[in-house]
Amino acid sequence: MQDSLQTDVISKIDMRKSTGGQKVVDKTQRFIQIVGVAFTGLLSILCILPFVLIISASFSSERSIVLQGFSIIPKELSLDAYNLIFNNPEQILGSYALTISMTVIGTLVGLFIISMTGYALQRPDFPLRNIISFYIYFTTLFSGGLIPFYMMVTQTLKLKDNYLAVLLPLLMSPWLIILMKNFLKSIPHSITESATIDGAGDFYIFIKIILPTAKPALATVGLFLALTYWNEWYNAMLFLSSNVKYRPLQLFLYNTINEARYIRDSAAASNIPAVDIPMESMKMATAVVATGPIIFVYPFVQKYFIQGITVGAVKG
Amino acid sequence: MKGRIAEVFKKINKKRTLLFMCVPAIVFFFIFSYLPMPGAWLAFVRFNYRDGIFGSEFVGLENFRFLALSGQLWTLTRNTVLYNLAFIVTGNILQITVAILFNEMVGKKLNIYKKFSQSVMFLPYFISAVVIGVFAYNLLNVQTGFINSLLKQLDANTINFYSIPELWPIIIVLAYLWQSTGYGSIVYFAAIMGIDAEMMEASEIDGANAFQRIRYILLPCLKPTFIILLLFALGGIMKGNFGLFYNLTGANNMALFEKTDIIETFVFRSLNVNFNFSMGSAVGLFQSLFGFVLVMTVNTIVKKIEPEYSLF
Amino acid sequence: MKSKLTRILALIFALMLAVTMVSCTTTQGGKGGSTGTTGTSSGDAKGIDTSKFVTISHLSLGNKPTNGQYEAVKAEWDKYLKDKLNCALEVQYIGWTDYMTQYNLLLATGEGLDMINSASDWLEMWPNAQRGAFLELNDLLPTYAPITWETVPESSWAEVTFKGDIIAIPEDMYSQWINHGYMYRGDWARQFGITEKIDSWDDFQVYLQGVKDNFGSQGVIPFDIAGASNMKALYDGWTNSKSSYICIDPVPEGLAFGKSDDEWWEVRSRFLPLDDGTDMLLNFAKEMKEWGDAGYWREDVLNNTADTWVQFKAGLTGVRQHHTQTYVSAYKELEREVPGADLQFFPWAEESKNLTKMSITHGATAIAANCKNPERALMVYDLIRNDETMYKLFNWGIEGVQYVINDKGQRDLPEGFVTDQHGFSSNFWGGRMDKFELAFPSTTWIDNYEELYADFETYAKPYRYGRFVFDKSPVESELAALSDVVNRYLPAISVGKAGDPETVVKEFRAELEMAGYQKVLDEVQKQLTEFKNSL
Repeated sequence: MQDSLQTDVISKIDMRKSTGGQKVVDKTQRFIQIVGVAFTGLLSILCILPFVLIISASFSSERSIVLQGFSIIPKELSLDAYNLIFNNPEQILGSYALTISMTVIGTLVGLFIISMTGYALQRPDFPLRNIISFYIYFTTLFSGGLIPFYMMVTQTLKLKDNYLAVLLPLLMSPWLIILMKNFLKSIPHSITESATIDGAGDFYIFIKIILPTAKPALATVGLFLALTYWNEWYNAMLFLSSNVKYRPLQLFLYNTINEARYIRDSAAASNIPAVDIPMESMKMATAVVATGPIIFVYPFVQKYFIQGITVGAVKG
Repeated sequence: MKGRIAEVFKKINKKRTLLFMCVPAIVFFFIFSYLPMPGAWLAFVRFNYRDGIFGSEFVGLENFRFLALSGQLWTLTRNTVLYNLAFIVTGNILQITVAILFNEMVGKKLNIYKKFSQSVMFLPYFISAVVIGVFAYNLLNVQTGFINSLLKQLDANTINFYSIPELWPIIIVLAYLWQSTGYGSIVYFAAIMGIDAEMMEASEIDGANAFQRIRYILLPCLKPTFIILLLFALGGIMKGNFGLFYNLTGANNMALFEKTDIIETFVFRSLNVNFNFSMGSAVGLFQSLFGFVLVMTVNTIVKKIEPEYSLF
Repeated sequence: MKSKLTRILALIFALMLAVTMVSCTTTQGGKGGSTGTTGTSSGDAKGIDTSKFVTISHLSLGNKPTNGQYEAVKAEWDKYLKDKLNCALEVQYIGWTDYMTQYNLLLATGEGLDMINSASDWLEMWPNAQRGAFLELNDLLPTYAPITWETVPESSWAEVTFKGDIIAIPEDMYSQWINHGYMYRGDWARQFGITEKIDSWDDFQVYLQGVKDNFGSQGVIPFDIAGASNMKALYDGWTNSKSSYICIDPVPEGLAFGKSDDEWWEVRSRFLPLDDGTDMLLNFAKEMKEWGDAGYWREDVLNNTADTWVQFKAGLTGVRQHHTQTYVSAYKELEREVPGADLQFFPWAEESKNLTKMSITHGATAIAANCKNPERALMVYDLIRNDETMYKLFNWGIEGVQYVINDKGQRDLPEGFVTDQHGFSSNFWGGRMDKFELAFPSTTWIDNYEELYADFETYAKPYRYGRFVFDKSPVESELAALSDVVNRYLPAISVGKAGDPETVVKEFRAELEMAGYQKVLDEVQKQLTEFKNSL
């Protein structure tokens, strides 16, 4: 009985999708489209240019960068920077594998919990929703600070040099939970109500009806979560010492790019033996290597936006 | 009284599955946020590693004193808050605009363009602040910078960006927008996807043009999302984006401080050499308190006007 | 009801953890193998029980070699250590990014630390001792590090003693000169008609002007500077060259100086006029304004992000500022890239002959307060410091891979050595020994370094503040506020980009005053007087 309810809902969504595609474009919309293409086109150029410069610099010889600065096409082609990075391929591939697995696992587990919590919190008939929302939101306002958090992870949870120390703290954030709550709000409560009348439990409704309906929301929040995991370096810096075999990719990037600045502006500058600072081309190549794959995730997620599954289309 | 409590429990019990569904998150925040929270006591002690946070000597507000001693507190607070306000306002306007513009692009060709453009606008999010700083210097510096080279070729006067403080609020806001628009507009785009399509279609049948549709249906539907974003942003209104400011304006350009110095850059200058966890904690507490008061006020106001949109 | 709730809750969470944990260990790869087997105690440690196999860590600053050489060398020394002390030794590297946060967090919790690299001048040895980060070693040293205990003289132990307790072991038997100065190109100087070695700021200015006149049109910047610390260093140099002041290192940001070697107990400020009325800071500000206006560095120098040594090697700038040790090894590096550049060095101390020897706590090794095996850690330290085989393994690496000893008895790089592939360093800066160090052959070090060192020896004075422990706590807020003021004004003043010198110096002093400068100076004077009386 419940399965029939589910197919019923899904078919309604499919129906909506098919009619939603055939919009008539009127004059005003055409005007907005022209303005939109011009405006976003300009923004796009501004956004892509630095990226081209980075890629070009990463393939340039150090000498040409120092002498001539950045350029769109490398002035003196050189693979030195990449040779340096892949000097020890096992290390960098290990870091890749680590970052990718953390991103996948973290996003899947985190997304499940976030959506489950978000769903419960937007249910108008859940008496504790305001208290729990506040409980979650409050953590963005106050925190114990660096030392207590560090001690919690290393001493209470004993997670020093353990990948869980990086994975767990990022599983969810108040922002993503509240965002999810807000997205799921647009699914009419009547769906839940009718399913309840049909005898479905709350958890069942969430898994079988809400999750399939809320794909754009899941895609959005999932994307944000994945990016958080992909870009993570701070917790890794704190909790994974150099004795851990593989450290996340972004930590490597962050260190390569920042160390020159830190050495220059700190007390160490005049006290330590002069340190070899990474070359400019190497910094850029590191940025390319560390950003690489995640860029391809976005277009994949995008289809959920373009398709325009309108969650609100379902009337109970 | 007793009866009322029992009634509440009964109500909760009826929805216990929903409570269970929140349990992982409740436990999570308890462990990673609430358990360490009392550690903020660090701000009031002279920290001795062996005695621990709670065993160390209590020094009252001593750790907060350097904030006041500097004589900069007012400038720092003002700059931090104003920059964040500028980020919130300009950021949201641009993000909403972009999301709406993309939403209006329908049709095969436009869809392909939309996909491409959206992806591209996402790229700056991946560029680290250090690299942004390097690009900015190569763009703006007076001798070899791109803009000034161009001006020289046009026989125009060069602009010494790094000595004109008034320009920096604009440059910093632009850099922020550049980096965050692609990322931020996704939230709004997803929110638009959630708008009831029947409502949209009904409006079309009623003969509303695109402008009217945006004005009367889209924008109001984006309001709850905006309010949530706002409340989250307000909580952190005293917290600055250190990486961006530090890398764009440098740690020591005196000429710009008046307009570019924020709490984080000040803390960096003060404590980089005198490393001190307690003073760091004190600054954090000061920032949190400010955000807390602001959020509580705004949330109460929102609750009064539109209870639906309030956070809690 | 409640128990059911908690049970379900626990189940969910356990499940969650299990899922993540399983997947983690699969990505973890080779990690976590150091659970060692127990071995028999060996003959070297007399009467000390070393039957339990342990792993000792050494906390080093710097980047871990990513070329696999660390693992290779570690395997070698572990073999040796297993035999000698039944233990293994691992280096925990702290990368330069955010190193202060990382270093202090580790110290605050002491989690898994044994040996720690410390330094009084740049790693806050005294404040950390005060916070209780280091173990008291008095009772342990004679038993577990007997050779070190015997060989380090009483006077050196006194320099690592905090409130009666020895809290570290100094690097007291390793000579290096870390007095700063300007390196410049000898070939260029000769081209401009500077035939003598530069030994004053006036001569140095002639050189800078020469670079400007001869190469300025080709885009060469006479003196390319980047970074706050390098700009502030100009005033360190000026103070060094133009006064008899000696920096009291334990006070941060160069806020307090001793008046002179003869009256080292008199506290002075280099930001205020000298006793004879000379306004040193103002003179400096004026001179640097002149230099800045003359275009010796970039117009936007304050925001410069360039790597100036790379620029130097590319012939785009003519000056590098750093210390003697750096100069000694930079000479040949430059010769390789720019043959005939003939790098020269103008040490700031040259002009005034105001030179103090280095503090022996510029490098030191401490043991973590809650170190689980302090005995073994000290034994390892004793071995590194006094056992030639271990010393070479830990500091240089494997013979034939990282170094060879040539027929002149010098340390040299092996045939086909490539830094990226073969380079290794443990960054052990807390107990290097002259007696094991071999002369660097001509491929790495400048030929006449001994002359240079000998010249310094002729006029260098002993370091006076080695045993002076400055207790920051009464003026911690003032110091933080003063750091802000110094960092706001001094870099800009140092490169002449702070507007009118008179006005800005006045402003700077007013702000220092407001941030409680006098209180700090008084406090330093009070503690220094106490220290002097205690001698």
